[in-house]
Amino acid sequence: MGVALAVEPPLAAPVVDDQALITATLGGRTEAFSELVSRYERAVYHLAVRTLHDAGEAEDAAQEAFFKAYRALSSFRPGAKFSTWIFTICYRGCCDRLAKRKRLSGDELPDRADPSAGPEASAVREDEARRLRAAIDALPEKYRTVITLYHLQGKQYEEIATVLNLPLGTVKTHLFRAKEQLRKALST
Amino acid sequence: MTYDDDDLDRALAALPLEEPPAHLHARIMAATLYRPEPAVRGWEIWLMGTLIALAAWLAWLVASAPHTAERLTDASVWVVESTGFTSEYTMLWLAVGVSAAWWLSQLTFPTRPSRIEAR
Repeated sequence: MGVALAVEPPLAAPVVDDQALITATLGGRTEAFSELVSRYERAVYHLAVRTLHDAGEAEDAAQEAFFKAYRALSSFRPGAKFSTWIFTICYRGCCDRLAKRKRLSGDELPDRADPSAGPEASAVREDEARRLRAAIDALPEKYRTVITLYHLQGKQYEEIATVLNLPLGTVKTHLFRAKEQLRKALST
Repeated sequence: MTYDDDDLDRALAALPLEEPPAHLHARIMAATLYRPEPAVRGWEIWLMGTLIALAAWLAWLVASAPHTAERLTDASVWVVESTGFTSEYTMLWLAVGVSAAWWLSQLTFPTRPSRIEAR
């Protein structure tokens, strides 16, 4: 069962590896950091949108994640995956924003589908994408995040567990239940 | 239509990522690489705060001591006397020195004309 990720091609097969770009950035080469941003901005924004359900706030969250990563770049552990690191930073930022939102609203936010998330292009595939997106948005938050990271990172369960700071078993359980709910939602 | 695990994985893989706004990249770069240096650094704020707190504490200590006004007057008088400010000669020489310094500061000296470059 092969999974071809919908992530940008540079993510899957980077020409220059992320560690080299980080080293170059720390050495003062600004274009190296620009390249890192280009590689991950879409995935980071995607994670933020799916987690926060708000395009404007997701933009802020993505910017904040890159800002934090840039400031802490010298502490990035060689050998670690930059994608996991930036997703972790972004996810934590999103959690803070959700917590703040819940505090402000005074009650639990409903898990709802994002009506503005409809794609514009054509035909059956687009229809399926729209239904799938709506089904993901309708998932409870814990399942939605797991399935979003699964979408971004594929079957790298340990990486997902690192981002979410959850045990591997919990990630697999959440993923199983998320898929089950998605299957049900799409089959109706 | 029923979805099995493979169908779901295929659908997920085909699901495009959210399109970020066009200005996001520029916004991130402005917030990171091209972020202007802050006028005052964090440690400078801490230092200033500490010094102000110390000064306030010392001022309070002095003000709350008994007979503060008298002590301050005595101390000022002692400083003036011990440094010779009550002597006429000292005041005369100080006046001469200040006048000379002011006079020198008013002088203008002709500057050497700068060489005109051949180019």
